[in-house]
Amino acid sequence: MTPTVYGIESLTGISLDSSTRLTLSDGPLQLGWKHSGMTSDFIAEVMALRYSRSRKDYVQAHHDIGYLSNELIENAVKFRQPGEILIEAGILDGTFLIRVKNTIDGVTSSRFQQLLHRLQSRDPGELLLEQIETNAISAESGSGLGLLTLLSDYDAKMAWAFEDNNDQRVILTTTAAVAMPPSSNL
Amino acid sequence: MEISDENFRVWAEKNEVYFDGVFRLAGPDAYAPIYSLISGLLHEGHKQVTFNLTGLEFLNSSGINLLAKLTIEARKMDDLLLVVKGTSQYPWQAKSLPNLKKLHPLIDLRLA
Repeated sequence: MTPTVYGIESLTGISLDSSTRLTLSDGPLQLGWKHSGMTSDFIAEVMALRYSRSRKDYVQAHHDIGYLSNELIENAVKFRQPGEILIEAGILDGTFLIRVKNTIDGVTSSRFQQLLHRLQSRDPGELLLEQIETNAISAESGSGLGLLTLLSDYDAKMAWAFEDNNDQRVILTTTAAVAMPPSSNL
Repeated sequence: MEISDENFRVWAEKNEVYFDGVFRLAGPDAYAPIYSLISGLLHEGHKQVTFNLTGLEFLNSSGINLLAKLTIEARKMDDLLLVVKGTSQYPWQAKSLPNLKKLHPLIDLRLA
């Protein structure tokens, strides 16, 4: 079945075969919230190394990779159905790319697709401020604020693919890219 | 009063709130005690309240939401000047703190 794609469709076709691949399983130990922080810190440590020629570039790359990875993995942990979370991350042509794949339920899938639909026709910076005002008067979580900060404050390019899995569950694959600082040791 | 775990610490001294470390809590519920602490300070009748973020290394989007909510709370109070002290040493601050100024143009935002 062809997936439903939102965002920048060309990102979904980029191969990350030669990248770092991590699988977070939820086995008997239960995947903790803490793991999303540890995993994103690890990815930032490994990926930012090539920018260590310049202190400024290194700090910038380490932070941007860490923030982007953390938001995507936090979302996967927060909204996933039992099962593995697959994470692929790499640097291609001066861009950091991360792809996170996990399973969500049908209700989460429709709510998320509505949000992405709204995103398509609006400026993310405006939507971010609107969402912050809405959050201030309600305690609702899952507002998409993380994605809006990525699009608005980090200029991230993103794509989301939803694929039905025949059992009321949906496989969600999120791909995100941010430009890296210019200097590199490679 | 102070709230902390192994990664972060937040505390108030007179009319200044200090944030220190890495804030990566799971959502509005987890941030609620911090919100209550600071919201309480905003309503104590000070002319000026300062959020000192110079030790705040990392903040996830739920944490950014916390700062935004507190900014909106301060915006409702006509007699209160909110000062936000940040640092460009931590890249998220230069990217995301200007949003607070958009929410509340009278904020005194100092990014050193």
